[in-house]
Amino acid sequence: MSTNHELAMSSYVGIGVGLMAIVCIEVVLTFQHLPARTLLFSLLCLAGLEGFVAIMYLMQVKYEKPILFWTVFPATLFVLVFLCYLWPDAFRMFNMRLMQ
Amino acid sequence: MAAVPQHEVVMEPSPYAMDKKKFGMWVFIISDACTFGAFLFAYGYMRVGAPVWGTPFGMSSIVNGMVMTAVLLSSSLTMLAAVRAAQTSTKAKTTKWLGITMLLGAIFAALHLREWIKLIGEGWRLFQNPTGGAAQFGACFFSVTGLHLTHVVSGVIALAFVARGLNQGRYDESHVETVGLYWHFVDLVWMFVFPLMYLMNAH
Repeated sequence: MSTNHELAMSSYVGIGVGLMAIVCIEVVLTFQHLPARTLLFSLLCLAGLEGFVAIMYLMQVKYEKPILFWTVFPATLFVLVFLCYLWPDAFRMFNMRLMQ
Repeated sequence: MAAVPQHEVVMEPSPYAMDKKKFGMWVFIISDACTFGAFLFAYGYMRVGAPVWGTPFGMSSIVNGMVMTAVLLSSSLTMLAAVRAAQTSTKAKTTKWLGITMLLGAIFAALHLREWIKLIGEGWRLFQNPTGGAAQFGACFFSVTGLHLTHVVSGVIALAFVARGLNQGRYDESHVETVGLYWHFVDLVWMFVFPLMYLMNAH
């Protein structure tokens, strides 16, 4: 079980402030009127960074045994990437109907 | 007659070295992450596939979303305080932090509903776009944010149950830690929902 005492509460407040700062950067980027793909890529990268910090520190994975990280996250990421890979086929199905 | 040998039950320790409730919560979180992933990918493909997409969010909605983010992040910190209090301090202190977390969750839900009411007032529906763009915007937005809102409300109810059980002596710090893990996951999902559903649709 996690020990939960590696960081003082003030450090967690600092992490919370840091996460909020990333959200502010996301909002600033949004109103720079970037091309949609650039904006999407930037927002996903920043959200990924936020997610990583939240998983490691708020969900305390950093203080669990490393086996949790290595069994859970690569597999989940694989499933998510595979979902992304398979979704376009859902559109292809519209063109696979039998002709009457 | 020879005595029947007494065998001790040998249980192999979990390689994760964690409570089974907590491990169960991790399994649930993985499956829930895939559910949200599927919703967000579906939204992404529809958004890219539509020639004209709705962009209903002005500065006031974005500021509202930032306040919601700040509220949810604060609730994660108060949840951490509750877990720590459960491990080291009194039940009263744990209940206090759980109560504050529930209150912040309720504020988040209220702000979320306010945004919904505003959009519905402007004519956005599940399959209706008042600006003439893709009708699927409403379906995507209300589905994804509705699913997240359901998680928040469920989390508030679960926190209330755990706080009550803790005070009655039925639950211990492992229950607080397990429900805390769920609460942080709800926060984690919002970190993806806010940029993708709000910021990508700001005008």
